[in-house]
Amino acid sequence: VVKNVQTPLTPAVLHILLALAREERHGYGIMKQVESDSRGKVRMGPGTLYGSLGRMLEAGLIHESEKRVDPELDDERRIYYGISALGRTTLAAELERYSDVLAVAGRSSRARSAFAHGS
Amino acid sequence: MAADSFLQRSRALYARLLRLYPTQFRERFGEGMEQTFADSCRRRRTEGVGLFGFVLWVFAETIVAILREHATRSRRQVMRDDTVRFLKTVKYSAIAVGVLMVAGILTVMFLARGKTGDDGDIAGVVAPALLLTCVSGVVAVVAAVRQKRAQRRVVHP
Repeated sequence: VVKNVQTPLTPAVLHILLALAREERHGYGIMKQVESDSRGKVRMGPGTLYGSLGRMLEAGLIHESEKRVDPELDDERRIYYGISALGRTTLAAELERYSDVLAVAGRSSRARSAFAHGS
Repeated sequence: MAADSFLQRSRALYARLLRLYPTQFRERFGEGMEQTFADSCRRRRTEGVGLFGFVLWVFAETIVAILREHATRSRRQVMRDDTVRFLKTVKYSAIAVGVLMVAGILTVMFLARGKTGDDGDIAGVVAPALLLTCVSGVVAVVAAVRQKRAQRRVVHP
């Protein structure tokens, strides 16, 4: 049982945690990763992104890293964000919750189809 | 050329829009938001995707986010004020109870002065009153400390 974890997470927070699970990213990097992970289905603007980042920093789910330059972009220095230990635990708990929901949905669906075939 | 000018104007306008955020939020994330906006616009321009609709969407989304930040800030302020008010009430109530208990003990001691035997035995009354006085003192101190902490707590934007 995971303690001190508040789930369910909002979709924005879940996507940001997923984007940061692999590596530290700056704001625009997170935005791009979320878009790519969701195959363009989730579009996050700077308002939602930074509002969520603020709340996640406050909750200790992520941390700020030092400012550095992204070699793929211009020479502007950017703040990078990384996932914290609590963030990883929270993400794991949320993914477990999703898998439980899917299992229940799968069982209901099988039960429904068995009932439909039986009747 | 026209796209460059539109991009520059949009970026300047977006920087102005960000001024509507609460100060602490703007100081912490304003620069990052401007960079993110500029990066997104640059990518769309490179990919040859229309900029106007995107800029409009970002502006609308940011306005909603600004309203949300202000609402969150106000809600937290109200919660903090309520907490401070509650702790003040607890503190003054505990002090009042303590003062009443001390006054009661002194009165009982004064009335029992010079009496002997069962009439002079006031321990059964004074002991619980003393205990209550001590408890009230502890509660008052704890409430005062927590009230100070709640007042000092920074309200996040």
